[in-house]
Parts: sequence; C-alpha cells; structure tokens
Amino acid sequence: MPLIETKNIWKTYDMGSIQVHALRGVTISIEKGDYVAIMGPSGSGKSTLMNLIGCLDTPSQGEYFFAGKKVSRMEDDELAVIRNKEIGFVFQTFNLMPRSTALHNVELPLIYNGTPRIEREAKAKKALEVVDLTDRMTHRPNELSGGQRQRVAIARALVNEPSLILADEPTGNLDSKTGLEIMQLFSDLHGNGNTIIIVTHEADIASYADRILHIRDGRIEKDQRVTQEDRIANGTTLQ
Amino acid sequence: MMIFWEIFRMAIHALGVNRLRSVLTLLGVIIGVTSVITIISALEGLTQSIRTEIDRLGPTTFIVSKWGIITSEEGFWEALKRKPMKFEYVKAIEEGCDDCELVSARVRDEMEVKYRNKKISRCFVAGATSEIIDIVDFEVGQGRFHSHEEDLTRRRVAFIGTGIQDELYPFVDPIGKTIKIAGMKYEITGIAKKRGSSFGNNMDNFVMIPFSTYVKDFGTPQNSLDILVKARTLEVMDQAMDQTRVILRAYRHVPYDKEDDFAILTADSIMAALNDITKYLRLGLVGVSSISLIVGGIIIMNIMMVSVTERTREIGIRKSIGARQKDILWQFLFESLVLSLGGGLIGIAAGVILGKVLIGLINMNMSPSLYAIVLGLIISSGVGLFFGIYPAMKAARLQPVKALSFE
Repeated sequence: MPLIETKNIWKTYDMGSIQVHALRGVTISIEKGDYVAIMGPSGSGKSTLMNLIGCLDTPSQGEYFFAGKKVSRMEDDELAVIRNKEIGFVFQTFNLMPRSTALHNVELPLIYNGTPRIEREAKAKKALEVVDLTDRMTHRPNELSGGQRQRVAIARALVNEPSLILADEPTGNLDSKTGLEIMQLFSDLHGNGNTIIIVTHEADIASYADRILHIRDGRIEKDQRVTQEDRIANGTTLQ
Repeated sequence: MMIFWEIFRMAIHALGVNRLRSVLTLLGVIIGVTSVITIISALEGLTQSIRTEIDRLGPTTFIVSKWGIITSEEGFWEALKRKPMKFEYVKAIEEGCDDCELVSARVRDEMEVKYRNKKISRCFVAGATSEIIDIVDFEVGQGRFHSHEEDLTRRRVAFIGTGIQDELYPFVDPIGKTIKIAGMKYEITGIAKKRGSSFGNNMDNFVMIPFSTYVKDFGTPQNSLDILVKARTLEVMDQAMDQTRVILRAYRHVPYDKEDDFAILTADSIMAALNDITKYLRLGLVGVSSISLIVGGIIIMNIMMVSVTERTREIGIRKSIGARQKDILWQFLFESLVLSLGGGLIGIAAGVILGKVLIGLINMNMSPSLYAIVLGLIISSGVGLFFGIYPAMKAARLQPVKALSFE
C-alpha cells in the first residue's frame, strides 16, 4: 500500500466569473521511504499539490488516500489530527512562533495531541538533538540564524515521528552554504527511513531526491528517477 | 484537561506579549464592573440600613395610620380626604382586640426646643402614651419614661434623646432640668439610650412628652395621630391585625363594600413597599451602569478581532501542526475571558471600596456583599464569553492554507 495515492485530483478556484484550475487531474503514488521532489515553475500548481498532500486543503474532485485512509472528504478537525500525527511540515519562511523558545516551538505539536509534559520535553529535546541544536534550546527564533531556525522547524516536523516530512522550498530563504547543510540533513533523515517530499522550483535542490515529479499547468508532466549522472550534472554533492 | 491548561498558558503568554494593549483593554470592563458593583453595594447597604431601622419597630408591632405608604399623587389626595385617627380608638382596640398586648397613641411635629440660650429650632417632638416605651424599640438610658399617671394628669415632663442632651446640656446633667418646648416649660425625667444615625439623620434628636400634655399644649393634630399596637406573640400577629381592622372599620363607619380608609403597617409591609418604590430606581441605576460594561465588552471584541487578524499566520502555523478548531477557539476565548475576568476582579475590588466610601458619606455601615462579588464575576466572565466568542470562532474557522499565506 502506497503512503500517498492520489486519483485524478482537481483543484479549482472560483474567481468570480472565471474558474481557475490549479490542478487538472493529478494521479501520483508515493511509497513509504521515498524521497521525492515536486518541481515546477511558479504557477504550475506545485504549492496547491503540496497543500493537498499535506492535508491542509481538500481537492475539488478526485480521491486522495493517505496510508490507505481516504482523506479527500475529511472534515477540518479530522485533517488536523492527520497533520498532527502523520505529517511534519517544513516551510520556506520557517513559520516558527516568534515569541517562544526553540524548545517550546518543537513541543507545540505534542501539546496539541495531549502528550504529558515530561514525555513532551524529552521528545522535543531528542528532536533538537537530531538537528544538532541542543545548545540553542532556550533561544527564541530572532536569536537564531536562518539555518538554525530551519533546523528548529525540522525538529518540530520530526517530533511526532510522522510518516511524511513535507518541505516547501526549505532552502528558499537560506544562503547556498546553509541550504546545502539543510539538504544534507534531509538526506540523513531519508537515510534513517523517513519519507520526504520536497517542493521546489530549483533543479539542483530537486536532484537531491530519488525521484522528481515535474509539474506544469496543473498536470504531472514527467515522473523522473534521479540517477547519479543527474546529480553530477546539477553539481549536487552529498557526503 | 491537560491540553486545556496548556492552551490557557498560551493565552496568558499571548496577553503578556501585548501587555499595554491588554491593560488598556481591561479598562472598559474595569469601569463597567466598578460602576455596577458600586451601585449594587451602595443600594444593598442602603436597604440593609433601612431594614435595621424598620426592624426597630419589632416583628410583633404594627402601626395604624391614616396615611399608610403613599406612592402616588392620587394616593396622597385620597388619604388627605380620610377622617383623622382618633384617640378613642386606643381604648376600643385595648378592649376589643384579644390578641393585642399593648396599644399606644402617638402624635408628632417639629418644634423649637430651648434650654437657657441654646436652642434647636426644628426638633422632632412626639406626644405618646406611656405604653410606647414597651412597643417601639428604644430604651431608657438614665432616669425614667413618663408614667401612665403623668399622662392622665397632663404633667409637663419630657424624655429626651442623647442628641438633645449633647446639644443643649453639654456640661450639666439634664435630669431635673427644664426644657422649653415651643415656649412651654417641661421637666426632664429621663434620657434614652443612644440609637445612632441613619441616612444622615440623627436618631437621637427627639423629645417625647405625655400624649395628653401634648394635646393640651399644642392641640389635637388632625393628621399625625398614629396608633401603635403590639400583638401578644408573633403567632397571633395576623389575628391581632384583623381584629384591629374590624374595630376600626366599625368605629370609622366604613361600609362593607368599601376599602379600609386607614392603613396598617408592619415592618415587613414597610420594607416591601420600600423595595417596590426603589425597584425601578435600582433597575435604572444598574441599567445605566451596565452600558459601560457593554462598551467594555465591545472593546474586548474589537481588540480580539484585531488580534485574530494580526495573528492569522500564527493561527495557520498552529493549524498546520495539528491544532483543531476547538484548540484555537479556546485559546482566543481564554484570552478574552482572562481579560474580562481580570477587569472584573479589579472592578469588584474598586467597586466595593467605592461603595463603602459612598455609604460612608451618608453615615451608614456596610459590609461588602458576597452577592455583589459573585455577580461581578458572573457579569465579567459573561461579557468575556459573549464578546469573545465571535472573534474566537472567526479564528477557529480560518482555512489553514489561507491563514498560512496571509501577509
């Protein structure tokens, strides 16, 4: 059973008199343990697809199964539970709580599923350990560098041990060196068995993944397996 | 439960971040609750004090009067046309009412009283039969009250309150001294125990003389004669009143199909009438002060709306990591509740203090009533809930995608 399976999903926005089709029948299947990039230019529908995969939104038409569960017709709160337990988000703009410490930011998803305090702190500390930020736990986001902030966000995404890590342009706001570090972190996480989907418009970022879904005008244009040659061609270096 | 506590902590944290704004938001509710509590405590204190005053009448005592409690102009004209009370009713009630223990007549007026060069120009002077000392709650402090014989023989003796003593006899023992009432000389036989004051009236500024002497010296008053009756026990109070009513109707020739042309007042009936009269006053005052509470609530609502808009992105983040609608709803509801309850607590404290000051100004004692405090808490949390629910629902229903992309 694939972790993610979409069947001919459409997303249509009503803009007054005209209808905009952001997605026009996308059918994809992603297995557990995959490392997939969704790549396309802006306006291609990749963000819409990410929102649907991430259960932030529901499709206008078509079916979406997450770990065998039909989520395409779920209610708001049911989706919230899926997002909490099964999906860890990493955003381009980090999206941390500005007034809270790194530790509290990482604890937040656990608060919403009622994890007791002691267990919560232990888990959050462990997640911060994975991203190598144990010495920055009590710092607030504005006391951290961009790379560190993104690592806090990744720790937050990891803390509930989700089935899927969904990253939306995770290096978009970082310099190339820091971006590289973050991509290295994703590769490590993938090496540990995590399923990762990265949404990007940059070919070199996409080529870190094992598989690239090219999207254009709301349709999957190409489903590509990444080879070592592709990586070399894009200058992707992994340690 | 635990998640509630955590969400509550988030709310407190968020309020702490915007401290100045939170305090300013509190102001509206503070003012509202303060005014409501002040007015309620003041009214409570007032009622309490009236109650104590009326209770001096005693639970087994009733007053038969031409006037009753007048609440309207027509009532006044109606009562004015009634026949005056007559002294002979006292004897009639004494004889005809088995359940009445004591009956007394009392007349009163304001007159000038003098001792040497000191005088009080408008002093409350009452003429009463000797039984009154056992009917109405005042006690002899020094000396004695006039006797039945002194009343019958129309002796010029007087019994005074401590207020008169303080004013006219500051350095001498008044007993045995004379007091001039409207030019007539009376000998003081006794002084009452201090009664204190209510509504700024000194209850100790009075002179009491025998009923017959009063009539002889000042004439039979047409309108001020009251008959005070004490029933034998509380159990027979109603019978005593009924018997008295029957006797009076007979003596006053009231046809069977007409209503009483006199009134029988008890502590309870006076209190009830008073409550009735002040009911609209109270409603009005509380209503007016509630307006500021509504304003306070609207301020909270407004601030919460701003807060929801400002924090749209935060809401989006919370939703993306798994906050359900009710989690967001509670967070914002807690914020407005904490705001309004905080304002409520401060308002209650301020209101109780202000109420005390107000009551103090008119010379009455008052304890802060639990009722006012509980009411303040209920009102303020009600305001928080009522005005907080809409912004909180707005926050809870935000679409995660839209909230996240909000700039």
